[in-house]
Amino acid sequence: MRRAFVILSGVTLAVFALQFVFAAVGAFTKPSSEDAYALHSITGMAVIPALTVLTTLTAVLAKAPGRLVGLTLLPLGLTLLQALLAALTGTFTDEAGGSTTVGLIIGGLHAVNGIVAVHVAVGVVRGASRLAQPARAGVEAAA
Amino acid sequence: MTTGSIIAADLILAVLAAAGWLGGGAAATTGRRRLATGLAILALLATLGRAATTVALARAGWWFAAEKVVIAAPLSLAAVAVGVRRTPMAMFFAGYAATGALLVTVLHGYPVSAGAALLAVAGVATATAVTWRLLHGRTSRTAVAVAVVALVGGTAFAVEPTAAADHDHRPVTASRAGEPTKRFVLTAGTTGDAWAFNGQVPGPQLDATVGDVVEVTLRNRDIERGVTLHWHGYDVPNDQDGVPGVTQDVVRPGQEFVYRFVADQAGSYWYHTHSASDIGVRKGLYGVLVVRPGRPTGVEVVVAYPARPPLTTTASQPGTPVRFRLINTDSVTHRYAVAGAPFTVVALDGRDLDSPSPLTNTVLAIPAGGRFDVVTTAPAALFVDGRPVRATGPLPPAPGAWPVLDPLTYGTASPPPWTRVDRTLTLVLDRGLDLRGRLPRYAHTVNGAADPGIPTQVVRRGEVVRLRIVNRSLVVHPWHLHGHHVLVLTRDGKPATGSPLWLDSFDVRPGEVWEVAFRADNPGLWANHCHNLPHADAGMMLHLRY
Repeated sequence: MRRAFVILSGVTLAVFALQFVFAAVGAFTKPSSEDAYALHSITGMAVIPALTVLTTLTAVLAKAPGRLVGLTLLPLGLTLLQALLAALTGTFTDEAGGSTTVGLIIGGLHAVNGIVAVHVAVGVVRGASRLAQPARAGVEAAA
Repeated sequence: MTTGSIIAADLILAVLAAAGWLGGGAAATTGRRRLATGLAILALLATLGRAATTVALARAGWWFAAEKVVIAAPLSLAAVAVGVRRTPMAMFFAGYAATGALLVTVLHGYPVSAGAALLAVAGVATATAVTWRLLHGRTSRTAVAVAVVALVGGTAFAVEPTAAADHDHRPVTASRAGEPTKRFVLTAGTTGDAWAFNGQVPGPQLDATVGDVVEVTLRNRDIERGVTLHWHGYDVPNDQDGVPGVTQDVVRPGQEFVYRFVADQAGSYWYHTHSASDIGVRKGLYGVLVVRPGRPTGVEVVVAYPARPPLTTTASQPGTPVRFRLINTDSVTHRYAVAGAPFTVVALDGRDLDSPSPLTNTVLAIPAGGRFDVVTTAPAALFVDGRPVRATGPLPPAPGAWPVLDPLTYGTASPPPWTRVDRTLTLVLDRGLDLRGRLPRYAHTVNGAADPGIPTQVVRRGEVVRLRIVNRSLVVHPWHLHGHHVLVLTRDGKPATGSPLWLDSFDVRPGEVWEVAFRADNPGLWANHCHNLPHADAGMMLHLRY
C-alpha cells in the first residue's frame, strides 16, 4: 500500500504539472474562447479531486502519520478554491464586460494558488517516499 | 456595490472563514498557538463579514440569501461557538462547519432544501469523526451517529422524486401559411472541420420582404448529430420553431424538413440549428435572416458575429445613410462601437424603438443572440471588441473607454399594451450539482433543477405572463424565450423608462433581477433557455406550454 501511495502521489504531481500545460493550451488557442480551457477545467474539477481522494485513501491505508494524511487532503481544498477563483474573475467585470483590476488580481491569485498546490503535491510525494523507504529497507534486510 | 459583487465577496469571505479555521486547526495540532489564534481571528472577521454580505443579499432579494440565512448561518455560528476554544479538534470542527456553509451555496443554494442541509451536517460530522479518530485514536460515537442519521435523512430528501419534464406533446399545428413567394434550400453538411449550410459559414443570408410567405427546405447531407432550423427571434407558429424533440423530429442525414411561415415582422433575425446547438452553431450551422418593409435605401452592412478581421471596407459617398445590422450569433456578449459619425440605434431584436436619440462615443453591448440595428452616415466604421471590422471610408481612431448604452433608458416611453398581469413565473438561475443523470454534473440550473429535470411551466392562452428572472450565479445568462418577444418591465426593481423594449435575447448579469412580460398569444410548447449555448447544454433550459 505504501508503494501505491508513492505511485498515486507521483501521478497526482504529474497531473498538476500537466495542468500548467493545459492552461497554456487555453491561453494560446486562437480564436480565444472559454472552450479552449475545456481540458484545463475538466482536469481541475474532476481528475485532480478524484486523484487527491484516492491518494488520501492510500495514505490512510498505508498508515501514514496524521500530518501526512492532512497534507494529502490539502490539494482538495486548494483545488476547490482554485475553481472558485476562476469563477470569481468573471464577476468582477466593468459594465462593458471587460476585465477590472480586482478581477485580474483574483485571476493572478488563481496562478499563485496553483503554484502553492504544486508545492503541496511535491511535499506529499516526498512524505510518501520517506514512508516507503524503511519498508523497502526492511524487505531487503529480510531477503 | 452591485449585488453581483456582493455575491462574489460573500464567497471569498466564506473561503477565508473555512481556510482560517482549518489552518488554525493545523497550526494548533503542530503546537503553534499564536498562529492558531491569529487564524481564528481571521476566521471570526470573515464570518462577521459574511453576516454583513448575507444581510445585504437578503435586502436585494430573498433568492440571493435564502440558504445563507437558513443553512450557512447556523453552521457558521456553530463554527464560531466551538472554534473559539482553539483546541485542534474544536478548530477542525469549525473548519468543517464553515466549509459546509460554503459548499451549500456552491453546490445547491436555491431553493433551500432539507436534503442539502442534512447532507452538509452529515459531511461535517463525518469529517469530525475521522479527525477525532486521527487526533485522539478513539471513535466519537456522537459524531458517527449524527453523520449516519443526517446522511440517511439527507439522501432520502435528495432522491425524493420530482415531477419530470413532460415533452411528449404534439406541437400545435397552425394553418399552413399559403403558397410560398420566397423559396430557399439549405443543405447542411460537413465541409472540412466546419458544419455548413450550402457549403458556407455563416450560411446564406435569407432576404424577404414583409408579406412574403417564406419556404425553407432543410436537407441534412451528413450531419450525424442531426439538424433543425430555429428562427431566432422570429415568432413563428410552434410547429415551425425547429426545436428537436419538442416541435419536430430531428432531421437526420438523408432526411429533409420544410419550414413555411409568413414574414410578418420586419427586422434583423438569424437562424441556427437547435440540434446539438452548442457544437452545431460553433461549427457554423447558422445564418442571417433579414425581413425588410420594402426596398432597402442607402448602404446596408450586415455583420454576424464572429466578424473577424481583416477589415472590410465598402467605399461610400460621404453623407450616404448606412444601416448596420449587428447580429451576435456567439454565446457571449460582444461590444460593438460605431466611430466616425453620430449614430442612432433604431431597432433592438427586430423591433423598432420609439424616438431614439443620436449617440456618439457609446458602446453597444449586444447579448448572445441579440440584434441591434444602427443607422449612421458614411464615412463610419464598426469596431467589435475594440477591433475594426467594417468601414465605409477612411478608418477613424479606435474607440476608447466609452460608456455602454443602457437600452432601458433610451428613447421615449409609452404605456404597456395591457393593464394587468395574470401570472408571474420566477426563474432563479444558479449553478448546482445535478445527480439525476447517469453521471453527476455541475449543472447550470433553473430553480435548483437542470434540463431535462425542470418541470414545464404552464400558462393559459391569452394571459399576460410576467417572467421574473433572478441571476444568483457568477456569470451572465443571456435569456431567450422562443416564440415571443417580451416587454421589459423592470431591472433590479427599477422600471424601464426608455422606449418600450420588446426583446427576445437579454443579458441577466450576476445579481440582477429582470421582470419582463408577454401575452400568451402563440400557443404551443416553447423552449425557454439561456442562449449561452454551453450553459443550455449544461442544463439551463426549460419549457413553457399553453
